[in-house]
Amino acid sequence: MIRKKLKLKFDFISSEILEKKDAKSRIKFILNKVKDGTILVTDGVMNPEEEMDLIKETMRKVDDGFPGIEVCSLRKEVKGIKGFLDKLSDQGIKIQKIFTGKEPEKRKLKEGITLIGPAVFIKKIKRNPDSFSVLAGI
Amino acid sequence: MFRRFLNWLRDLLGLRKNIKLGIYGDVNVGKTTLANRISLDWTGEEIGKVSEIPHETRVVQKKERVEIRLKNNKKILLNILDMPGLATKIDYRKFLKYGLSKKEAKKRAREATEGVIEAIKWLKNVDAVLAVMDATKDPLTQVNITLLGNLEARKIPVILVANKIDLKNAKPKRIKECFPQYPVVPVSALTGKNMDELYEAIGKYLVKGG
Repeated sequence: MIRKKLKLKFDFISSEILEKKDAKSRIKFILNKVKDGTILVTDGVMNPEEEMDLIKETMRKVDDGFPGIEVCSLRKEVKGIKGFLDKLSDQGIKIQKIFTGKEPEKRKLKEGITLIGPAVFIKKIKRNPDSFSVLAGI
Repeated sequence: MFRRFLNWLRDLLGLRKNIKLGIYGDVNVGKTTLANRISLDWTGEEIGKVSEIPHETRVVQKKERVEIRLKNNKKILLNILDMPGLATKIDYRKFLKYGLSKKEAKKRAREATEGVIEAIKWLKNVDAVLAVMDATKDPLTQVNITLLGNLEARKIPVILVANKIDLKNAKPKRIKECFPQYPVVPVSALTGKNMDELYEAIGKYLVKGG
């Protein structure tokens, strides 16, 4: 009996690559990879509005062969001066949004980790406040 | 007396503000059952159909001008918006298990994806949210976390409704432990248990000056 080799592909992508892209192309990049069957891991976390946009765009791409994604992000709590500067940067973005009515094109990811993969392969994500485990299979 | 007169005058002139209350959450957590319960309690009419098949609600269902009365006799006017369940995946094959034909299942899946998009778009227009969670299941889902993050970013007040407490394996305390920064009200939308507590919480947390 010939046993077919079943493989899962993981791409570990630096957050810097995603940060170079504007919000739309970032989501397009992620979805193209995931729709292609890749499980993507990156050392950063998108802001909640961007995550919601990712869900929205995923829904637009759902078809018979692609039922959607599984996503899990863990945000690192940043304290001290860095945390303060992060909050300051968020406020700056809000002020910019008030005056221009638009989100800035490129936004830094928050510190943390994100895993996004095709729902056909990721069977279950068990999440705890500071860790998660993924059950994947073909 | 003066306030009553003012409210009457505002009603007459159509100036009294209705709170647009969005009912959000994962699929099959009991959002429509809750919307029906609130509507039945105060208007005697239901809002939508409930089903065990996921994604029964695929368009936003509205019930306008629902007036609820609190213990201190204060009245709150709500526009209830029962949202389609949020999801990151919708597989038409899942619906086949419930006896739907392939054609019906695909149609339902397509409509469900449109429903999720519509629910997300509505986040820009709601004044307050009831985030419904199934107290028998793990609340730490990406949908819940992303939803709460969005509400926080938009400064939309929210109450977490720990639903299905009539079931033996319900653990509403787990929701409180996972999201300690939010008000949590355990209820059974099906039996009506603790609904009075939820109405008081709406007055306390979701209404300005409540």
